[in-house]
Amino acid sequence: MDRLRVLGFSVFEPTVNMALDEAIAEAVGSAKSPPTLRFYGWSPSAVSIGYFQEIHEEVDLEFCHSNGIEVVRRITGGGAVIHTKGELTYSFTVCDKDPAVPQDIQGSYMRICAPIVSALRGLGADAVFAPINDIEVGGKKISGNAQTRRFGAVLQHGTILIDLERGMLRALKVKREKLQDRGADSVGNRLITLKEILGRDLRPGEVSGAIAKEFKKHFKCKVEYGKASPIELCRVPAIAERHKSIDWLFRR
Amino acid sequence: MEKVSLRKVKGGKFVKVKVSSDGGYITDAKITGDFFAHPEDAFEQLEKELKGIPVDRVRATVESALGGIVLVGLSKEDLIEMIEECLE
Repeated sequence: MDRLRVLGFSVFEPTVNMALDEAIAEAVGSAKSPPTLRFYGWSPSAVSIGYFQEIHEEVDLEFCHSNGIEVVRRITGGGAVIHTKGELTYSFTVCDKDPAVPQDIQGSYMRICAPIVSALRGLGADAVFAPINDIEVGGKKISGNAQTRRFGAVLQHGTILIDLERGMLRALKVKREKLQDRGADSVGNRLITLKEILGRDLRPGEVSGAIAKEFKKHFKCKVEYGKASPIELCRVPAIAERHKSIDWLFRR
Repeated sequence: MEKVSLRKVKGGKFVKVKVSSDGGYITDAKITGDFFAHPEDAFEQLEKELKGIPVDRVRATVESALGGIVLVGLSKEDLIEMIEECLE
């Protein structure tokens, strides 16, 4: 990986976000686009559930409906995530043959999370990578990450909590066993935000800029701010349509 | 008869296995959770292959359907145990 395209923070509809990550992975995997780091937000707010999750087990659909929260199913495994104001999402996509990212999954999570950990530390949060796929500060989760390998690409996307509308956490039905396993008694107690750690508001661009700089250092590559390509954008409507379908959303 | 087995894999992820069986044969199987598998669609294939097998073919079916699949947060052994629990 000698250069990295960065797509700066933009806010999109939930299914467009999912479609863009997928369209970029298709293009990167077929060498039509360079390795890419994208930052995004969600409007309206959304819950994203993992590929293998059962929607009724994870999401309070009534609460989501009455609070204008959409639900999408990711193409990546992992758990349910709430994407509200103050939450920063990133996606990193690289060709699956690129030696910059290890073939083994655990090693590749660590490799891709390392620049994010460094960026959070640079901002003043005492962040550490917490296997399998989290980043924590003081034992609480500030970032969750999920990976897939498709289309000839490795796609990892993840969430970084700059701030959190805690009232919205009711959208998630989190199992008690999972919380106990982590020594927390509610979802909220298990999470921490940059705003809580640093005692100040941060703009998404401040955090994404810090992360992009660390990717440049960690991967020793050039960073070029860019845009989605026409090939990628052309694919978005069809992929978003699939993500909107009942078949996809309720498939498990 | 439909049975469910739930497990938080130690150091791993949440897994829910739901299996229906009738007269010693599996009639339906669904595996959900917050684990990872690469490639993901191996699980749809596994669920398809489990349908219709006699209960003593669980191990062989899981091992063949998930051969070469990278699992993260659960193991083939977890799945086999959980499916067999549903059949007890």
